[in-house]
Amino acid sequence: MLITMEELPGIIMRSIMISGTATLLSTAWSLPLTIKLSLSKHPLKESLMGILNSLVGFPTVLVGLLLYLVFSSSGPLGMLRLIYTPQAIIIGEALLITPLMMSLLYEVVCRSVSVYWELAISLGASKRRATWFVMEQTLPELMIVLLMSFSRAIGELGVALLVGGNIKGFTRVITTSIALAIEAGEFDLAVFLGMVLLTMMILLATTVRLLRAWLEK
Amino acid sequence: MVREIVLKDIWFSYIKKKYVLRGVNIKLRRGLTLVVGPNASGKTTLLKVASCIYMPDQGRVLVDGVSYWDMPDEEKERVRRNIVYVHESPILIRGSVLDNIMAGLLLRGIDRRVAEKKALVLLERWHMRHLMMKRRSELSRGEQQLVCIIRALLLSPDFMFLDEPLAHLDLRNRRLIVELIRDIKRDRAVVVASNNPHPLLDDADHAILIQNGVVVGRNTHEVKDLLVEAW
Amino acid sequence: MKRLSIALATAMIIVSLVLSYLSLSLTPKAKVVIRVSTTTSLYVTGLLDHLAEELKKRYPEVEVVFISVGSGAALELAAKGDVDVVMVHAPSLEKKYIERGVIVNGAIFAYNYFVLVGPSEDPARVKGLEDIVEAFKRIYQAGELGHSCFVSRGDMSGTHVRELMIWNMTGLNPKGRLWYVESGTGMSKTLMLADNLKAYTLSDIGTFLKLKKEGVLKNLVMLVSRGSLLINVYSIHLVNPSRYEVNKEYARRWMEFILSDDGQELIASYGKDKYGVALFNPAKGRSEELKKMWNLLSEGG
Repeated sequence: MLITMEELPGIIMRSIMISGTATLLSTAWSLPLTIKLSLSKHPLKESLMGILNSLVGFPTVLVGLLLYLVFSSSGPLGMLRLIYTPQAIIIGEALLITPLMMSLLYEVVCRSVSVYWELAISLGASKRRATWFVMEQTLPELMIVLLMSFSRAIGELGVALLVGGNIKGFTRVITTSIALAIEAGEFDLAVFLGMVLLTMMILLATTVRLLRAWLEK
Repeated sequence: MVREIVLKDIWFSYIKKKYVLRGVNIKLRRGLTLVVGPNASGKTTLLKVASCIYMPDQGRVLVDGVSYWDMPDEEKERVRRNIVYVHESPILIRGSVLDNIMAGLLLRGIDRRVAEKKALVLLERWHMRHLMMKRRSELSRGEQQLVCIIRALLLSPDFMFLDEPLAHLDLRNRRLIVELIRDIKRDRAVVVASNNPHPLLDDADHAILIQNGVVVGRNTHEVKDLLVEAW
Repeated sequence: MKRLSIALATAMIIVSLVLSYLSLSLTPKAKVVIRVSTTTSLYVTGLLDHLAEELKKRYPEVEVVFISVGSGAALELAAKGDVDVVMVHAPSLEKKYIERGVIVNGAIFAYNYFVLVGPSEDPARVKGLEDIVEAFKRIYQAGELGHSCFVSRGDMSGTHVRELMIWNMTGLNPKGRLWYVESGTGMSKTLMLADNLKAYTLSDIGTFLKLKKEGVLKNLVMLVSRGSLLINVYSIHLVNPSRYEVNKEYARRWMEFILSDDGQELIASYGKDKYGVALFNPAKGRSEELKKMWNLLSEGG
């Protein structure tokens, strides 16, 4: 077998770390940007959101290729030596999921964040208290947004393959392993890996739902 | 202690240049003020600007003569503790009715046990004790609305802004709210926005008519007569 | 609200940096990393990982990693300076990159044969032919008569380049014909497609045997596997150290290992236990002929 069972735990851990970090990284810029956008009165606000919405489905191979050209040794950011490293995949996936994250966050911010913020302010809360209040109240929704963004990151192939190189023990993740297994004709392995990924995602989604229900107390 | 809120030359827009309030000048003080106008005339926006939630594009919001938006943060907080705005659509938080009623006090840093005691007093006073442990999903819209108003009342503000408080209420609850407003307007300012103010017309001390973001009538008697005619 | 979101953002960036550093630690610690770009069909045989493991026994401080793509892409990665070594089997493409000065010091390290595979019914009647050019001619005719199809890789891979060379020698151009299907994918997907269509295709022997053993291919059998034109020559090239920043020293050691007696022995025996037959033939002892073959093939593409 091209990909052995011993490699599997490493591959899974790597996928989770890489895509998890990518999700956090993307949140770091998506959240402030989304809040800024929702508060803005700029007439082009809606069109910008429209563009972001449409970028959600952008093909991952294309993002992967563009990033490869940027990070390549002969590319503009070649001196960072990021090509074929997990860090490159992290940055790549973070960028990839930004349109999705911003689109989802925008809905949450417009519907919930601004509503609870206004409520807190209208009840006389200080800015600090109001912010905590908003976080408290919108946490379940935010978790769902994070979950969906993480799913997209961990399930994508184009970026991981093109900027990561699918290097054994280094940048091989679940999706690139599946691609390799298919190429090698080891379909059973490919399906098995797919099932592993699916199971992981179901477990995670269920945990988030349960957490949400518990928070509703 | 907030005695008077004056809106001076207020212009407000949600999307740049598409103004929802145009050159609004009004004075709000003790007693019941009705803000009346057709749908989308700017009533809600007017209330939100007057209750210091929204910052106007132009103009000043004067609280007892001092511009609110030029105050330092601690001052602003102090002012806000005397002003409460109740949304048209009830906004309830996760938890029981009791949690919701207490929310305002808790957000101001009041101790939980003290808040609970105060909340229970009010729940008794307004015959709502039976709703105490219910969750937001178990309440009718009218009941939710009531909870929001009681929540605001618990904060004993000098200024209460109520946005369409009578909408979506059944007869019994409407009577309850009208009674409540009559009661509280005596020692504070209550500003009610409505496009159907009929039950409150007699009790109104002041009335403002707004249309398309412009205040078209501020003479209470004139406005009242106009409204009476309409019905 | 703004201040908190900035604080949150900073916190997340810090956490991300920490996590990404940690994910680095999930990777093997090696002083030197040699990057080799190669073709997928070569990589999936597992030979390269096997050879890398052996190298590690001799030089434990070196990690050889493989990036497997198509031959065209593998050479292009070299041109971009992203790898230290290239191992492919597309002489005509290799020649272009040698001329451009991208790769140097090329040597042949192994060879095997391409095979023409097709449906067991063999409507074009090519089975057992010694002349692959003749076989292709018959397939063309069978295609025109609507008896069978041919699936091409269509992806500038080593296999594809060879296929095009043979078509060239028939004097016929299959491009655009209805029976000529271009899959644009890797070898295994191409074989699967051919299997489904009961079509003919040119394949490297390694992938074909692997898929056949896994039971993936139900309809295809080997029909033509002889003739010098089907020789599949695998070469190893160093990426030009005077033009790109590469690990000259260790890249050379890798190449030396592959060409050494030990390396060649490993290549000669690889696959015997799994498939009953070795997947590769070592270049050692036949370098002159192979070089001639390489020259011929590099013109023909």
